[in-house]
Amino acid sequence: MARLIVLGGGVAGHTTATFAAKWLGSEHEVVVVTPNAKWNWIPSNIWVGVGRMTKEEVTFDLAPVYAKAGITYKQAKAVSLNPEGGATSDKPFVTIEFTEAGREGQSENLEYDYIVNATGPKLNFGATPGLGEGSNLGEHTVSVCTADHAVHASHKLEEAIQKMKGGERQKFLIGTGHGMCTCQGAAFEYMFNVEHELNKAGVRDMADMKWISNESFMGDFGMGGLHMKVGGYVVSSKLFTESLFAERNVNWLIGAHTNKVEAGKVGYELLDGTVGEEEFDFAMLIPPFAGVGLKAYDKAGEDITGVVFAPNGFMKVDADYAPKAYADWKASDWPRTYQNPTYKNMFAAGIAFAPPHIISKPMSSPNGTPINPTPPRTGMPSGIIGKAVAHSVCALMTEGENAHLHEASMAEMGAACVASAGKGIFSGTAAAMTVFPVVPDYEKYPGTGRDTDYTFGEIGLAGHWIKHVLHHLFIYKAKLNPGWTLIPE
Amino acid sequence: MKQEEVNFEQSQFTQTMIPGKFAKAMRTCVLWQLFRFAVLNIKMIIVVQKSH
Repeated sequence: MARLIVLGGGVAGHTTATFAAKWLGSEHEVVVVTPNAKWNWIPSNIWVGVGRMTKEEVTFDLAPVYAKAGITYKQAKAVSLNPEGGATSDKPFVTIEFTEAGREGQSENLEYDYIVNATGPKLNFGATPGLGEGSNLGEHTVSVCTADHAVHASHKLEEAIQKMKGGERQKFLIGTGHGMCTCQGAAFEYMFNVEHELNKAGVRDMADMKWISNESFMGDFGMGGLHMKVGGYVVSSKLFTESLFAERNVNWLIGAHTNKVEAGKVGYELLDGTVGEEEFDFAMLIPPFAGVGLKAYDKAGEDITGVVFAPNGFMKVDADYAPKAYADWKASDWPRTYQNPTYKNMFAAGIAFAPPHIISKPMSSPNGTPINPTPPRTGMPSGIIGKAVAHSVCALMTEGENAHLHEASMAEMGAACVASAGKGIFSGTAAAMTVFPVVPDYEKYPGTGRDTDYTFGEIGLAGHWIKHVLHHLFIYKAKLNPGWTLIPE
Repeated sequence: MKQEEVNFEQSQFTQTMIPGKFAKAMRTCVLWQLFRFAVLNIKMIIVVQKSH
């Protein structure tokens, strides 16, 4: 019996572990190591953050689901990898530290035959002074990155609404909290949900709303922008996005590296080098992501973290990491199998893999501060990569080391993004977008880098209903209810 | 001034487009949106299939 360890229980890790357990059956062991007791459907945290959903509606306990799937579950965080084994054994192992109540701080060495790193990101609030400490949210702003953060955000939003009802104007600042953030889409969706709630509460005229983002143009989304079919036209995401903001009377500040957060104001540096401050009463700023800080050691105990991981903490995989000019970037730079080039029994999935480079055009201020979005690797790409990795690992475990590895390049996969505004079945709307492929391929699609037949955007109730359907469908799937394998990632 | 023209008074919004009454009505027209729901689902399923 061989053992597969999956580090992380988010979209990528959960997908990998559950499919691997199904395909491997009881002949092999699948172990999930995740510090969380609950699974969280993160896209719906937006609705928790405006008080339209509870934490319980977007989370569920992992233990019974893994028990049903025959997966060994360790509520713990991975600390280090020893891919060559240790002094007493050649068997590779991972050192974990329990987070489970009653076992906090205890550690264990878990041997493995194959390991998948799907740890997701460290929410790096500490990268911006005042935004937080390490991975902990600070006191001045709110976040919707976790269900608990979203609950906190909803309380702060309610306080702001009450102040406006009492006649006090409020300034809302929503966007990115650093020059190297990703996930602009989440902040974008939260902005529109807050605006919708303010309208519903009858206080929109008491609110000044501003978007702050590290994107060099509106609608970059960390993908260098996109051209999509809208109403029969091929339209730039810049025009599409600016229209959404203009319609709602939300101003924007873009190309901004938020470099300081204090009570009631943020400091920023712009791409043209100017610096300034923006005041706020309510701010939701997304933190930058980093790897979770896993270390790696060789058999002699020497630190080989730099061999296994990129400097940003994400795991190196089969990408082309050779530094090259923006003009020389190609779709083929992007990984296909997510196998670590040094240790073939290690894979990374979802946010945990190190991208070869960003997708957007690299930019920096005259002071040398890099200000550009990093590539999005959440949601649909995470699930698809997780399933491809599960296929590959299962093949290796059952057919041997020469088994065919499955491929899932982000330059050959699409993504769907539904940004809602409101939650009511008939009162909300949504901007539904798809992009194909996520990473533009200018050799295959010389015009816009993408297939405009499958890169489209639309605003209306229909997208909003899709958001509702996705919420229920993916929670149903993640709970491994009957027919779960039929629901695509 | 028409409702959709109000926000154009702000300099930041002058280079974009703002939907008028008809476009907004279509966004919330249940019959039209039921049709678009079907179309969007089919297109998204194709994108998902092409991605696997």
